[in-house]
Amino acid sequence: MPNEKVVVQNLTKSYGDLLVLDDISFSVKESEFFVIVGPTGCGKTTFLNSLTKIIDINNGSILLDGEAVDPRKQNLAYILQEYSALPWLNVEQNIAYGLKIKGYEKSVIEERVEEAIKMVNLENYRHYYPSELSASMLQRVVIARAFATKPDLLLMDEPYGQLDLNLKYKLEDELLSLWQQTGTTVIFITHNIEEAVYLSDRILVMTNKPTKVKTELINDLPRPRNVASRQFVELRNEVTDLIKWW
Amino acid sequence: MINKTFTKDMRETWMYGILGFLVFLLVWQAACVFTNFGKIFPTPKVSLAAFLQAFVEPIGRHTLLGHISISLRRVLIGYTLSSITGIIIGLLMGYSKLAHAIIYPIFCIIRPIPGIAWIPLAILWIGIGEPTIHFIIFMGGFSQMVMNTMDGAQHVDTELVGVAKVLGAKENQIFRKIVLPSSIPYIFTGLQTSLSTSWMAVLAAEMITAREGAGWLIIAGMQTGRIENNVIGMIAIGLVGLILATLLRNAERRLCRWTVRSR
Repeated sequence: MPNEKVVVQNLTKSYGDLLVLDDISFSVKESEFFVIVGPTGCGKTTFLNSLTKIIDINNGSILLDGEAVDPRKQNLAYILQEYSALPWLNVEQNIAYGLKIKGYEKSVIEERVEEAIKMVNLENYRHYYPSELSASMLQRVVIARAFATKPDLLLMDEPYGQLDLNLKYKLEDELLSLWQQTGTTVIFITHNIEEAVYLSDRILVMTNKPTKVKTELINDLPRPRNVASRQFVELRNEVTDLIKWW
Repeated sequence: MINKTFTKDMRETWMYGILGFLVFLLVWQAACVFTNFGKIFPTPKVSLAAFLQAFVEPIGRHTLLGHISISLRRVLIGYTLSSITGIIIGLLMGYSKLAHAIIYPIFCIIRPIPGIAWIPLAILWIGIGEPTIHFIIFMGGFSQMVMNTMDGAQHVDTELVGVAKVLGAKENQIFRKIVLPSSIPYIFTGLQTSLSTSWMAVLAAEMITAREGAGWLIIAGMQTGRIENNVIGMIAIGLVGLILATLLRNAERRLCRWTVRSR
């Protein structure tokens, strides 16, 4: 049984009188693909920003490997819905960015960048700037930047929300392949139920505001998953029913 | 990669630019020949001849090249000082709420005062001489530089800052690797605007406190009734301004290769 990698206990966040996250508790196992779903605007991003300490929480605790989460001490990576490649750096420099921040030696950076650039098939675009890349390439750059740091925990906030369906399916498969190769622990946030069922080991369903944990579902469908299979459709419908707040 | 070739679009832009210039000369010539404008203003041909002659024959103490280099030196000193100070203060105010709270109210009072309004005080404080001219140029370009740089530092993409924080970036890394590069296009806009106002300021300062320089040429032409000298001074100012602005744009293209604007 894998160890618990992330433990969130009684997490509460409010803005003034507006309670956004209400006493949230859950845990994520080592190398697990953990997906959080909830209605649009339910506070999923606030939750992820609390987790990464981008915003302060009012109450509760978040532990990574048994210690209070701290991006300066632990190795985290974050992929957003918006393309967060740095516009003034080319593909190679963008991928190296996280490694440089973490103070790796030049030889290690070069080796990791080369490895990551191959993983996302951008070898021929290494000197291109973000303004010269397509949407899928941009998201691949960011994914490569995240995986290059070999993070203890990878956080993804609706990373494919802006892409068309074909690209989304392709990048989801690429992500699963990278996750399986590296064994990274992933927390993935989405409002797309099919995406949640396709990617996850486990699904955490959240309520509408104030956000609470509604339930957790284990997703043990065999991989690679067939979105048209009876079991897949049944699980998707189950999550859909859970997410309804009307 | 950025395409550096001389594209068809660029060729057309140049052609239209040259065409516009020729039309301007034709209108000028026609105005001199067919209207009373010719009695108070020289034709393009006379102006060009006087302009070229001024490179050989001194006007006052220097030839045209001498006057231009004197003005240029003054501008470069004042402009460099105002740019460096403006960038530092702009970054400080844009990045630090505390610095903004302390400096911004004072800056808001100084900001609307044009550089030339400082001339009487500058003469009173520093006397007539080079430092006064440098000070007036400094004040002329300073506000623009601060405003643009501050704007750049305030408009940093918060998502990028968030990503950097999660990757473990410290405050100084966020400043060096996110805030500073994000601000560079804004800084260049400030440098361009500030360069124009610095030129305006040097001319105004030279008209009042100097005995040489491109600004002095214009005022000397007016005082002696030699309108060609006015035109020579104006052409010189225009050309030098154009060369400086072009150099700055090229520097921006090299340093901001990522921006669509410079492609």
